Amino acid sequence: MNKIKALFIKCFDTVNNGLTKFTKKESAKTVITSLWCALLGLFIGFIIILFINPSNAFDGMAATLENFFIFSNSDTRLYYFGSTLAKTAPLIVMSLSILFGYKCGLFNIGASGQYTIAFVVILFAGLVGNLPWYLVMLLAMIAGASYAVITGLLKVFFNVSEVISGIMLNCIALYLGNGLCQSNTTVWDASHGESFKITQGSQAFLPNIGLDKLFAGNTVVGIGIIFALIAVIVIFVVLKKTTFGYEIQTIGLNPEAAKYAGINKVKAIILSTIICGALAGLSASLSAQNGFNSWQLSSTVVSAGFDGISSAFLGGLNPIAVVFSSYFITHITDGGSVITDLGFAPQVANIITASIIYLSGFSAFIKQYISDKDLMREQKLLCRGNNKKEDK
Amino acid sequence: MILFASTMSFLLIYTSILLVTALAGLFSERSGVLALSLEGNMTIGSLFAGIAMNLMPGSVPAPIACIVVIIAAIIGGMLYSFLHAVACITFKANQTLIGIALNILAVSIAVVGNKVLTASPALPAGNSRLKFTAFYEMFNFIVPGMETVRFNWLIFIILALLPLAWFILYKTKFGLRLRACGENPRAADSAGINVTKIRYVGVLICGALSGLGGLALILTGAEWEFASGANGFGFLALAVLIFGQWKPFLVFLGSLIFALFKTISVIYPSIDFLASLNISSYFYLMLPYIVCLIALIFISKKNKSPKDLGNPYDKGNS
Repeated sequence: MNKIKALFIKCFDTVNNGLTKFTKKESAKTVITSLWCALLGLFIGFIIILFINPSNAFDGMAATLENFFIFSNSDTRLYYFGSTLAKTAPLIVMSLSILFGYKCGLFNIGASGQYTIAFVVILFAGLVGNLPWYLVMLLAMIAGASYAVITGLLKVFFNVSEVISGIMLNCIALYLGNGLCQSNTTVWDASHGESFKITQGSQAFLPNIGLDKLFAGNTVVGIGIIFALIAVIVIFVVLKKTTFGYEIQTIGLNPEAAKYAGINKVKAIILSTIICGALAGLSASLSAQNGFNSWQLSSTVVSAGFDGISSAFLGGLNPIAVVFSSYFITHITDGGSVITDLGFAPQVANIITASIIYLSGFSAFIKQYISDKDLMREQKLLCRGNNKKEDK
Repeated sequence: MILFASTMSFLLIYTSILLVTALAGLFSERSGVLALSLEGNMTIGSLFAGIAMNLMPGSVPAPIACIVVIIAAIIGGMLYSFLHAVACITFKANQTLIGIALNILAVSIAVVGNKVLTASPALPAGNSRLKFTAFYEMFNFIVPGMETVRFNWLIFIILALLPLAWFILYKTKFGLRLRACGENPRAADSAGINVTKIRYVGVLICGALSGLGGLALILTGAEWEFASGANGFGFLALAVLIFGQWKPFLVFLGSLIFALFKTISVIYPSIDFLASLNISSYFYLMLPYIVCLIALIFISKKNKSPKDLGNPYDKGNS
């Protein structure tokens, strides 16, 4: 065991020495840690595709990393950059849902289930009800929040761990989604075995407010990305500047201290599950109302919530950093979907993102390690300084 | 008679899958490490078993071939749980996060691994299926009078594991140490027990048993789709473990109850009473999880989980 640890530390050390000056600040430490996780994740992905098919490995990895840069025409590039951005928006909001819960000490595994329920509500409201987009979005958020609050109520009143109840609710939502979508012919496209998508021209489709002109006429880019950025700012402000944000972070860091400080734990936990659920619902709305996904019959829970977990942790649980980590993950999953032509399964990109979540579990260790090194260096400098003084 | 036979066959196989996986979780959680990655361990166990089935030359006699496949599944689960152990025990990572990461990773690895190592080009590109008709026959036997269904003889091995697990946990020195590490690792440490080592062993046993669970899972049919992971059985087993309050025989009772609900979701069309209700099949698929959620409400108030469950043990501090 110690050998593995020593090896890990050694290779870390050599590269890290170059970055030492920069590591004083907490945020810098987070950035370095996340970069390490991303790099190692990519490296693992590379090893795997090298193992599968050595002759195409470099091309495959390049295709994954390049994504839209693969096109030579700058307009085409811009067009597909727009698509990647629009696909990033739901992931950003989903990461916020995970992050917000985590700050309150809740691991929102149920995000996938909340997303599913919101997704079904969107399909019914958009395709059957033919409601305008803002109402559909609102309904999606309400649906996500009301499904999430079950977890909160169970935790507060019955001491059921949110992880277990979240897993169960995910499975229930999955079958509920399958059953409900199939029950209605306006929603279910029986000939293709999946639901209809909300398409452009439908009232429920997100408007693009002229943003398409910036991205070579790509009409998918629109209000979604702006909503995602607004959500980032709102969550940032709530966490950093409000009493409520302070309270939930106190509960997350030290429930005992929160109790003695007179914080109402019941209210805080239920409110934060509602916010988590609303964010998961918003994420479903930004995805479904942009026509990216239809509902497909599946025996496994949708991956949206889990992708949110990876980008939230890769972003060091910081609302601003999550924008970049979400973009990174969308970029490589999007790029990974084209490597089937080179004889690789598209799941290779999933291996990379899953490795990144696994590695971000080590982030506390890496951060601690950077801090320890800093401390040692400072002490050394201090000793030297003292010695000089004595010499004089 | 046909209905009874198919009920028995499903009930037994589902009970055995849930039992062996929940016992796996028992060893991990009793040592103080959250067993959220059961689903992932099962998936990798089934992948290894599938690869072994695929690579096995036809000339190998059936009993040896079966034993090799079982060992492959166990090794697969152990290797994968080693990743869990390294992160959670040595590097003191967040156990929930690592568990989830390993579950997602396992599905991707299984899909890619199966495609690369076993899949025939004739299969459609989106799927990652594996056919193993010969092994399905080898692992199954027919009970006289119930010729319509198959029974899997892994059931006997798994049922034998139940008293064995109880004996190891409650009657051996190792079992006492394992439980001590889950309850109060600091006290265990001061009594001279190597907490890290015991937890490693606990997690590796967990991997071995859940790998076996993965094998039992894919043997429910003659082919398997790796993209569906472990079909939620790992999560259900975790619920069974909580339902069973971390005690072997209660866990057995729990797996029996949940297997019953799982069975109903498969055979309800042939039960006249349930078929006449005309409820969507998805309701029956949801049922085990709803029951589990309701059961958790009643159980969690007086939760008897291992006291140090989910906390990494830090020898130096506090």
